[in-house]
Amino acid sequence: MGVSPAVSPHLAVPGAKAPPNASVKAKTLAILNNSRSIPTPDGLSRATTPGDGTADLAEMMNNDVREQFVSGARLGEGTYAIVYRGHFRHDPSKLVAIKKMKVNVDYRDGITMDSYREMKYLQELTTHPNIIRLHAVFTSKDQNINLVLEHLPKGDLEGLWKDSKTSYTREDIKAWSAMLCQAVWFCHENHVLHRDIKGNNVLIAADNTLKLADFGLARSFSEPGRPMTCNVITRFYRPPELLLGASHYGGCVDVWSTACVIAELATRAFFLPSETDLQQLTVITDLFGIPTEADWPGISKLRHWEVSFKGAAPKRPQPLSHWRQRLPLMGDDGIDLLRAMMTMDPAKRLNARDVLKHPYWTNLPRPTKKENLPQQGGNPEKKMGEDLKRRGGEVETGRTDKVARKLNFGA
Amino acid sequence: MSRLASRVPGASKRLAPDEDELCNVCKSSRYLNPDMRFLVNPECYHKMCESCVDRIFTHGPAPCPLAGCNKTLRKARFRTQTFEDLKVEREVDIRRRIAKAMNKQESDFERLIDYNNYLEIVEEVTWNLILNIDVEETERKLRLWEEAQKAELNPNATFRRVTDQPEASQLSDSSHVVLKKGGTQRRALATSSGNTSTPSGTEESGKRDTGFVFQGLKKRKLPPPEKAFDPFDGWSIEPQYYALQENHNYQWLTTYDSDPAYFAGGWQTRDYYSRMMEEAFGGMCIFLEDEKVAPLGSGDDDVGTQNAANAAIGMKDVVMDDVF
Repeated sequence: MGVSPAVSPHLAVPGAKAPPNASVKAKTLAILNNSRSIPTPDGLSRATTPGDGTADLAEMMNNDVREQFVSGARLGEGTYAIVYRGHFRHDPSKLVAIKKMKVNVDYRDGITMDSYREMKYLQELTTHPNIIRLHAVFTSKDQNINLVLEHLPKGDLEGLWKDSKTSYTREDIKAWSAMLCQAVWFCHENHVLHRDIKGNNVLIAADNTLKLADFGLARSFSEPGRPMTCNVITRFYRPPELLLGASHYGGCVDVWSTACVIAELATRAFFLPSETDLQQLTVITDLFGIPTEADWPGISKLRHWEVSFKGAAPKRPQPLSHWRQRLPLMGDDGIDLLRAMMTMDPAKRLNARDVLKHPYWTNLPRPTKKENLPQQGGNPEKKMGEDLKRRGGEVETGRTDKVARKLNFGA
Repeated sequence: MSRLASRVPGASKRLAPDEDELCNVCKSSRYLNPDMRFLVNPECYHKMCESCVDRIFTHGPAPCPLAGCNKTLRKARFRTQTFEDLKVEREVDIRRRIAKAMNKQESDFERLIDYNNYLEIVEEVTWNLILNIDVEETERKLRLWEEAQKAELNPNATFRRVTDQPEASQLSDSSHVVLKKGGTQRRALATSSGNTSTPSGTEESGKRDTGFVFQGLKKRKLPPPEKAFDPFDGWSIEPQYYALQENHNYQWLTTYDSDPAYFAGGWQTRDYYSRMMEEAFGGMCIFLEDEKVAPLGSGDDDVGTQNAANAAIGMKDVVMDDVF
């Protein structure tokens, strides 16, 4: 894997220098697309001929990319994006999903943080089979950014365990978890934190491969001295260090979320559900106990420690028998893996590479082959539309679904 | 009778109507009992009525009640005949059994002539059994062949040695009935295998006797054993041009190591080292012309990285001449 293609880090500054020019986005996208597609020679010559004064090179390139796709039926619409089914113009049997970002009020002249992050990290990581493939990016006539993503017609992991008609075994769980852990490992190996791993964001391709999607909250591992926001990751999957307000963290946050997703698969229910962020910490400590300075060195220096734990009555972690009772499908080695992935102290938690080295994967029973994995009934393609349109960190609770959430990226 | 004949339109013309509707064992006729059904046993194909079968064979295997037929019959194998002509019925049964045992296809042979010779032998075996020519020897060979095929398909299973028993039944190895239970059966097996130890001994020494030998038959290829599950699915990301140390000991970095704001949240200096090193060495041995990705939509996923890897492997050290 080479370094990321030339993407200017100043792209996302919203309309700072350039006046709201119609071709600004097209130009920036041309840079992005340049690494993936080579404009046809005649496209270049057309662009350089002085006769046609209106279209410049960037717009020509953008048009070239756009011309390659045909957009079809609408699969889903949210406050943040609309998802269409589409296909390649030259081969209608090759389906794609086109995610059309809506123009955001805050970033009217630039690219929103979410779509910028999604483009930036997906085009670095898209080679891995367990990460959603970004075919191309283009702008449509009304200056909306369109991400051309892989078409994943078989729903997502959450739909899978929620669908009572689908039944699966421990071998299937192992196969799915392995694919998910590979995706997380690949992200971390390339120094990208996903920061929103949840069942909804793990989609299933036509050949039953799991694909990690929605890189709207992703970022690279931080440099020292540069704080990151702790207000990321959907609540049920948020690790304790984020709930305690840590602003310097590493890949361990994704490992915690991954473990939650695996445990969800095994129990067919949310593993650590809660109503509020504060309650989430209680739910976690109910299972893992309240960590002391001995369990987790430095915990008392975290920002929210005083509010949450100072003077709290000590809580003991649940014994192994509780885990065995709750996760009978994982087996002893699986429970060992999950507990290692959900160690409270992030420094002691397994990293993504060590997760894949755990004996659970090579122990019997062997994971199911991809082609034999059970599938979800109903119309899971629609689910893809639902998933892709969602904004990072959103939970579907009903009442406030349509209200866009504000993330403080600067913190 | 005319009424009956009209009710059974397919009644044979060759047989006298009485003969067709009369049980050869109890002599009761359909005239008296319109619900009568006739059954045959593929052991000898003698027709008898359902009530006779119930009466004679309910208490276990018994010899065929028809005079001159010494076959031992079991109730379970009685069935209604499919074809009116019992000869056809028998031939179909034999052909079905042979087709199950000898089911090679043209692709299993080296040449077309070999396949045709094989088909010739199959047909010969079939007609031997149909016309009762050399039945014992043919049966023995067929059984050995069946065993060999089974063993080839599943080499791990252990099969009971086929004993070439002289009282070969006409149709299948499962049809030679063992009347007694348990101990006697085992004893009989032991003695019979003792009797036939000489031929089987020669089989052991050389190649196993498979009953038939076909020219130009390809050996069945065993599927390769399944590889152990690889959690990384064949991916590996190791630095090629540098080695990552546990600690690179930069003064300004080590201060972060001991800062609880960093280590308590799981931030690791090592992550930072590895990222910095990769970014420093990321462009090594990557050439633009190799890295150019195939045009959009070609569906070829990792052309770019593959080319870069090939270029990196096949390369010698770059000789840098002094440019000044």
